[in-house]
Amino acid sequence: MDLRWSRIMLAGLGACLVLFVVGPLLRLLLESSPRHLAEAVRDPELRASIALTIFTATVATLLAALLGIPLAYLLARRSFPGRRIVQGIIDLPVVIPHPVAGIALLLFLGRRSTVGGILSQMGLEFVSHVPGIVAAMLFVSAPILVSGAREAFRGVDPQLERVARTLGDTAWGAFRRVTLPLARRGILAGSVLAWARSVSEFGSIVILTYNPKVASIFIFDRFTAFGLPAAVPAAVILLLVALAVFLLVRVLQPEEPT
Amino acid sequence: MIRLVDLQVKVGSFYLRDISLEVPSGGYALIIGPTGSGKTTLLEAIAGHAKLLGGKVFMHNDEVTGLPPERRGLGFVYQQYHLFPHLTVRNNIGYGLTGRGRQNGAGATRAEELAALLGLTPLLDRPVRGLSGGEQQRVALARALAPKPSILLLDEPFAAVDPATRQVLRRELRQLHEREGITTLQVTHDFDEALRLGDLVAVLSEGRIAQSGTPEQVFRYPNSAFVARFVGSGNVIAGIVQRNDSGEREAPFRARFQGENLSLDVVAEREGPAHAVIRPEDIVLSLSPHPDSARNHKEAVVVRLERLGPVTLVHLDVGRPLIASVTTASADEMALHPGLRVIIALKATAILLV
Repeated sequence: MDLRWSRIMLAGLGACLVLFVVGPLLRLLLESSPRHLAEAVRDPELRASIALTIFTATVATLLAALLGIPLAYLLARRSFPGRRIVQGIIDLPVVIPHPVAGIALLLFLGRRSTVGGILSQMGLEFVSHVPGIVAAMLFVSAPILVSGAREAFRGVDPQLERVARTLGDTAWGAFRRVTLPLARRGILAGSVLAWARSVSEFGSIVILTYNPKVASIFIFDRFTAFGLPAAVPAAVILLLVALAVFLLVRVLQPEEPT
Repeated sequence: MIRLVDLQVKVGSFYLRDISLEVPSGGYALIIGPTGSGKTTLLEAIAGHAKLLGGKVFMHNDEVTGLPPERRGLGFVYQQYHLFPHLTVRNNIGYGLTGRGRQNGAGATRAEELAALLGLTPLLDRPVRGLSGGEQQRVALARALAPKPSILLLDEPFAAVDPATRQVLRRELRQLHEREGITTLQVTHDFDEALRLGDLVAVLSEGRIAQSGTPEQVFRYPNSAFVARFVGSGNVIAGIVQRNDSGEREAPFRARFQGENLSLDVVAEREGPAHAVIRPEDIVLSLSPHPDSARNHKEAVVVRLERLGPVTLVHLDVGRPLIASVTTASADEMALHPGLRVIIALKATAILLV
């Protein structure tokens, strides 16, 4: 087989996969008329669930950033005993089926568990409450933020901090004025991906907090209660939100070297 | 003034041992050594980036051994420059002048003054990406000098620029050094640089200082075969020194140096195994034997000529290889060519035994 034919074959195989991704999404977008969408947007229940989703995903992402960025820096820059183990633990949620994560969180944070009991006495209820949504989102999205930030920090030459130190900066000053600005785009891209992961979460939230409903559960609920036509407009709106976020990530991420 | 007292440093599996060195205020010292001899590690230890196992670092009579890098008041120029890629040339130069507890107004003037001095004024508002190697090096130098450090550390600052730029930068650096009166310690693998720049040179070998002194001293009187070979003092020949029977009782005494396929009359301080260092310019070539005061006369065959502008290196075979240097004018006058038989003359006192 000559080179030209092998290229055509490779391109053909790739095209099948690309179409398989684009096809259903296009089909979904075309399924809903602008009138239906306008109606859906006016639906107070859908609006409430999208607002709740955006709010909880934002809180989860901020928490993940607050707790995860320092950890990402440590993982990228310092060698300490057990670093690989910590790295592994952080990556663990990626391989756990989401309903399994939901059940684990339920057992951990439920009122009858030790941790859940203490938190409940402090007035923090998880099961069937908004904090439960945030907890589930944090669990599934933190690894994405941490690994994004870790790679961003790894991409910054550690010698630059040393230069900053000889120019009079403290360790914190060097981090704030050199490493953080240089890693910012990567951290931001990782945060947006983590946020998007939170918005799309279903499997663990459905177990921890069915009500109040986030968007993915709202769509599932409409589908099971009223069938496909009732679920489509909400699905389209969520898809548009996801696409907007995706574009944002593409803009933020530094171009890959070719 | 920089004073190092018995520094012991471990970096990875690498050790620096018993490093003692003093660079006087306003002096320019070079540390030279082959790749992997620990030069960069030594600079990092002085700057406070590497942890010491022992020893002390003094700057201007104050001990700084335990201080973090930002409190040592020194400038550091790295081999790879390490400019801040997110800042313009101006903000790179001004980096050490801004930030917490540092004023800004005077800083802007200082950055512009240094930029003017190094010919960077037209580049001030450019990002550092896309600058040439020489330009990056100048920015790195200006950035290190901006906060007026009293000590400047340079890690192979000219390694990554082309030879023409290197010459210009060397000259500029030497001028800046004199203008700012800054105590400078530079690392290089190039002894030529040490001869051109330094007041003081220390040769580093496997984590220890093998020899230190003025470049001239080290070049003329290397204390070991390693240093002689490294600084290019000349021919280094291993052999054995034996006292002449008729010789003097006290050192120095006349003796015989027996190397592989070469025996020489020498003046020695002690007997036993030694290396003879023969500088190429001390070997006198002639076409026919004629009497002179030199003790050693040998027949030799010209193997190859290496013309280095005004000087020509003559690779000879005297039963073993030997390199002599003559002026290119006299090489032409004698019509030296490969295969030609010549006589070499060498004074016993010109042979250095180490």
